[in-house]
Amino acid sequence: MNRFPKSDHPSRAKPRPPAGEVFVWLTSLGLALGILMSIGLIVLIFWKGFSFFWPRNVVELTVRAPANPGTLGSENVWGGVVVKKQAKRSDIALKLEIVRQEWQLFVGNKDTYGHMYRYTDVDAITSVERPKGVAVAERAEYGKAIFYPISITMENGVVIPAEAPDFIKEWRLLVKKSNDRRDKIYTIEKRKIGKVNAALESLRLKQRRLLKKTSDGLTHNQKLSEIEKKMAVLQAEYEVFASQAQQLRAKQKEVQLTYKLLSGEVLTQPMGEILYFYFPNQMNFWHKLHYFVTHFWLFLSEDPREANTEGGVFPAFFGTFVMTLLLSIAVTPFGVIAAVYLREYAKEGLIVQSVRIAVNNLAGVPSIVFGVFGLGFFVYGVGGTIDDLFFADRLPTPTFGTGGILWASLTLALMTLPVVIVASEEALAAVPRGVREASLACGASQWQTVQRILLPAAAPGILTGLILAMARGAGEVAPLMLVGVVKLAPSLPVDGFFPFIHLERKFMHLGFHIYDLGFQSTDSEAAKPMVFATTLLLIVLVIILNLGAILIRNHLRKKYMTSIF
Amino acid sequence: MSLFSSSSPSLKNKKKRMDPVSKRILRIDRMMNRVIQIGGLSVILTVWGIFLFILWQVFPLFQKAKVSSSTSIHVGVDDFTVIGTDEWAELPFFLNLKGSFFFVDLKKGGKSFHLESDWPDVQPTITTLRYRQDAQKVIFGTQDGQWIDVEVLYKPNFNKNGEREIQVKLNPDKHFIKLGERNAPIVSIDAQDYETRKMVAGIQKTDEGHKLHALLLRRKVSLLGQSQLKVDQSYDLSNSIEGHPEKVLINASADAITVLTREGAVHYVVFQNGVFTLQQTFYPFGENPETPVASMDFLLGDASLCFTDTTGQNLIYSLYHLPESGKLEYGLTKTFPPLKGGGSIIFSASQRNKAFLIGNKEEVSLRFSTTESIRWNKPLEYMPRSAVISGKYEHIFIADTAGNLHSIELNDPHPEAGLKAFFGKIWYEGQPEPQYSWQSTGATDTFEPKLSLVPLIFGSIKGTLYALIFAVPVAIMAAIYTSQFLKPRLRRIVKPSMEIMASLPSVVLGFLAALWLAPIIEDQIPSILLMIILIPLVAVIMGRLWIFLPQRARSWVSSGNEFIIFLPAILIVGYLCLQGGGLLEQLLFTVQDPETGAVIADFRQWWPQFTGTPFEQRNSLVVGFMMGFAVIPIIFTISEDSLSQVPASLVSGSLALGASRWQTAARIVVPSALPGIFSAFMIGLGRAVGETMILVMATGNTPIMDLNIFSGMRTLSANIAVELPEAPHHGTLYRTLFLGAMVLFLITFFVNTLAELMRHRLRKKYQGLA
Repeated sequence: MNRFPKSDHPSRAKPRPPAGEVFVWLTSLGLALGILMSIGLIVLIFWKGFSFFWPRNVVELTVRAPANPGTLGSENVWGGVVVKKQAKRSDIALKLEIVRQEWQLFVGNKDTYGHMYRYTDVDAITSVERPKGVAVAERAEYGKAIFYPISITMENGVVIPAEAPDFIKEWRLLVKKSNDRRDKIYTIEKRKIGKVNAALESLRLKQRRLLKKTSDGLTHNQKLSEIEKKMAVLQAEYEVFASQAQQLRAKQKEVQLTYKLLSGEVLTQPMGEILYFYFPNQMNFWHKLHYFVTHFWLFLSEDPREANTEGGVFPAFFGTFVMTLLLSIAVTPFGVIAAVYLREYAKEGLIVQSVRIAVNNLAGVPSIVFGVFGLGFFVYGVGGTIDDLFFADRLPTPTFGTGGILWASLTLALMTLPVVIVASEEALAAVPRGVREASLACGASQWQTVQRILLPAAAPGILTGLILAMARGAGEVAPLMLVGVVKLAPSLPVDGFFPFIHLERKFMHLGFHIYDLGFQSTDSEAAKPMVFATTLLLIVLVIILNLGAILIRNHLRKKYMTSIF
Repeated sequence: MSLFSSSSPSLKNKKKRMDPVSKRILRIDRMMNRVIQIGGLSVILTVWGIFLFILWQVFPLFQKAKVSSSTSIHVGVDDFTVIGTDEWAELPFFLNLKGSFFFVDLKKGGKSFHLESDWPDVQPTITTLRYRQDAQKVIFGTQDGQWIDVEVLYKPNFNKNGEREIQVKLNPDKHFIKLGERNAPIVSIDAQDYETRKMVAGIQKTDEGHKLHALLLRRKVSLLGQSQLKVDQSYDLSNSIEGHPEKVLINASADAITVLTREGAVHYVVFQNGVFTLQQTFYPFGENPETPVASMDFLLGDASLCFTDTTGQNLIYSLYHLPESGKLEYGLTKTFPPLKGGGSIIFSASQRNKAFLIGNKEEVSLRFSTTESIRWNKPLEYMPRSAVISGKYEHIFIADTAGNLHSIELNDPHPEAGLKAFFGKIWYEGQPEPQYSWQSTGATDTFEPKLSLVPLIFGSIKGTLYALIFAVPVAIMAAIYTSQFLKPRLRRIVKPSMEIMASLPSVVLGFLAALWLAPIIEDQIPSILLMIILIPLVAVIMGRLWIFLPQRARSWVSSGNEFIIFLPAILIVGYLCLQGGGLLEQLLFTVQDPETGAVIADFRQWWPQFTGTPFEQRNSLVVGFMMGFAVIPIIFTISEDSLSQVPASLVSGSLALGASRWQTAARIVVPSALPGIFSAFMIGLGRAVGETMILVMATGNTPIMDLNIFSGMRTLSANIAVELPEAPHHGTLYRTLFLGAMVLFLITFFVNTLAELMRHRLRKKYQGLA
């Protein structure tokens, strides 16, 4: 059909171009636009997302004092990382004749400056330098600091100046030490104290249960006093751990780093606050690549800090993963059973027809409606009933009667059910009729045919459907907002405490993380790079899942092309 | 696997002759058959289950008030004037003109006890009293022209078993205060505290007729914490109004007096800057009515007056700013069906919502002002004298002339709801006209929830419209090109890459729309306009020029690859448009600066000035474009499928007859695939209607009703996402949001079924052709 008819009128010598070519060009516009949008968006996200991890050079600017003194700009020398070069916004807004250029710089040092970004007119800059000695340090609080190191004061009062030959080596060692200590504090506070707290909590519940019952004599009181004794032991344990953590924390502050900001202020900072540091202007491409890879990994594996605007996204990533896993566990059996029923068991007729329409309809129901259903049915209905029956002693604090990862997974499972049903049905339909008949002719029962012939043959197709369902589930946010996603979950849904998998817990999710960072955080400009990085992660996850599904599907097509008989 | 080898060939156990098949296999087979059937059917039932569940949650919204039980207690006080109650409806009281309170303890089976107001001076002769339920105060007016406040202090205590016990104490003011003239009996009185101010107004009977007086008092709190009332100013307002005043009411902010006269006129007197001025005089039932006004009372919030006349007509007048003059005046906003048996004898306004109770011997009626609906009504077998609705809107007490207390347990959880509330135009308090409005929560307790779904449905339609205007042409053009002209080798790449676009999470699109695209588009509107015109124009021009190129040059780009030259062309034109936008702006979109008079070229200022509609950063243009990412791939995939399904014989036939490739596509392929394209359109529409995150993030979420492309909207789906997490379980808002979900469900159900039927038709059509 792509043949180009040479001519409309063969009688003419000069071939006249075919009719309607203009419209062909017009339609090609649609495709070109679609492809541009698709590629453009993905390139944008990749570019913005990855540039978050790439270390950039720090410039030191000498700036003529601006017209409005009193602000930070009254100093002459300052610097940072150039983030944006653009036509001056205020000039555009004022519709001035000559629009000046301006730079946006990341200046860091939020504790001193009060903000992270700053603009300057290009005209005002008298010199731009890239000093080699500038260091950038990531801190536990207030984000990044950009400075010249001056000296390190050790716990015994010895001062190592920055000019000392092994200064950097020493610094690196100290940061490593304090990082190890921080890990230790984390282990004590999260793991050990967490364990004690969990034990205390269960004892407290037992106590409450006993107190509610009317006393039945000696054994009752005995039990109570036993619990109290146990609680006292745990409390003592807690004190020990707490004091250990306290000591370590104090140690974190012993070594001090003295440094000078680009704008001249001299400050000291406990070494324990510094997570890592680097000298961006001394790094070559490979150093930067190394930094890029390690920080991408840190982003994946670390907990968020400072109201999610710094640090990593591990809990959100993990939450998304666990939820998707639970979703697929829930959706597969039901989806496959429904498909097998529709394709192999039910007789074609009005019922099956209407059922197909129902399933297709379910696929078109907006995700938020599933969220509404999940909230009403799972959370308040089923969850509330479970609480009444099994967790009555914890009421009025709900256990299952509030949003949680189980309800979120089930809600999304319901939402993605049609995807799995339709894909499984198609896969079953693609199994040639001959295979089925051969199996039955060999004497296999219907279930045996389904179990040993049809399902294995359809498995790749079912898998495709499942992956598509997972991709849709992983990217969906709207229903989750109703059934259990939170901006900051205190603990993961899977951890080392009995019963290890905590289905009732609230969880974090990459998609919601994006929404929360972009729209609920106080400093959305500062959070923007982080949002792009998170977006990148989510997009990569979803695209990998989708590509996988598409590849399996294409592979399948080839397989059955040849096996029709 | 051992099972398999032991079995011998058998067919299903339908046949009589049974081959020796292992019983276990048959059992498993039967069991699995059942499991699959039950499982399959139950999955399918789930679809309906979802709908039924939501319906079940929504259903209570449309129920009328129910009375679950009604008891009567003979209290034996027959000289009372009013009854009152505490918030929990456990300790109602009867009050007579001597100032004696007879409390009825309903928890103890109606045992009654009585408390005397502890008068500071000698026992006064009380001529009138008014019970203000919101402040739990009674204002007494006396024969000799004085007044006093008595506070009824209810205090809940919890005993050892955690049960509530209500204790009551009477707390009268320290002295009587003179209203206006000494020794002139007060016939009507009202008082209202607001911050440190207190206003008292009363009507006194003198030899020269009825006089209207007002007092302004200031409350001073001493260091010891004792407060003292001091009269600031006294006003005689008799001359500022005409007629014989009969009843006086003071509003909640203690800055206006409403007076009813015997002639049937209502005077609205406003206190401002130390002066009382007559703002408005109106006749609720018309001038010189044959039937006088029977009652005038405030509804909750004191912004609406409820009137009945002696024939039982029932009207509501509300305060609103007149659109022309901007004056705050009363206007008729609601007309209720008349009360049987004449004017109302009893009145009580709910302290929770805009419900009120009116009644006489023939009928008692609980009505809801906002929705103009009658929640409950009933004929009475007794003559009522006073009634009160408990603070929680859970009980109604009616006292009859024989001193019986009738306690009615009320079950009306959603009075604000109803078809009219959700889909009708309603004249809300303070609004100059009836309107569709959504505003579910307000700052004060007296707030009137506005629960119209119409602006939300309108918002959904608006968002969908703008998304489809952009997405449909692009998607369908792309589908026609891909299926008809593109090389098959490329098609295998193009289709999946468009499908990947479909999988982009909407939260990502929403984030990009709001934080990346919206600020960029904001000052590039003229460029965007240029692009919308120029890019298709360039396509047409390129197509035209192409034909005139020599054959050799044309063969350079083989047919089916046209779109590749388009990619740079679009980029170049797009760039040029971005540069040329400023020029266009200076040519067309200029406004005069109101301060300097200078001419500035700024589309953002030009648009509101030219069209009178606002320009917002997060607007429908941004939303429409970003929703395109969600909708284009869906429409594209489905219509491409149906276009490709058109039997090849039709295409070959057309080409063989000498039609060009466009003629074939436009006259043969597209018409045959039209139902499929329509179905794609419907499914795209369904997706756009239900899209949530893009709209939550990129629209600003204001529930307005205009089609302006440069303003935002609030859609049904976004509304649910924004409000449901905060909505109390099983409250009116919660159920209303479920109703919103049901509307969404129904819209998509309708659209999808239509699409499915269309596709079915298409399939049938080709069965004969293939």
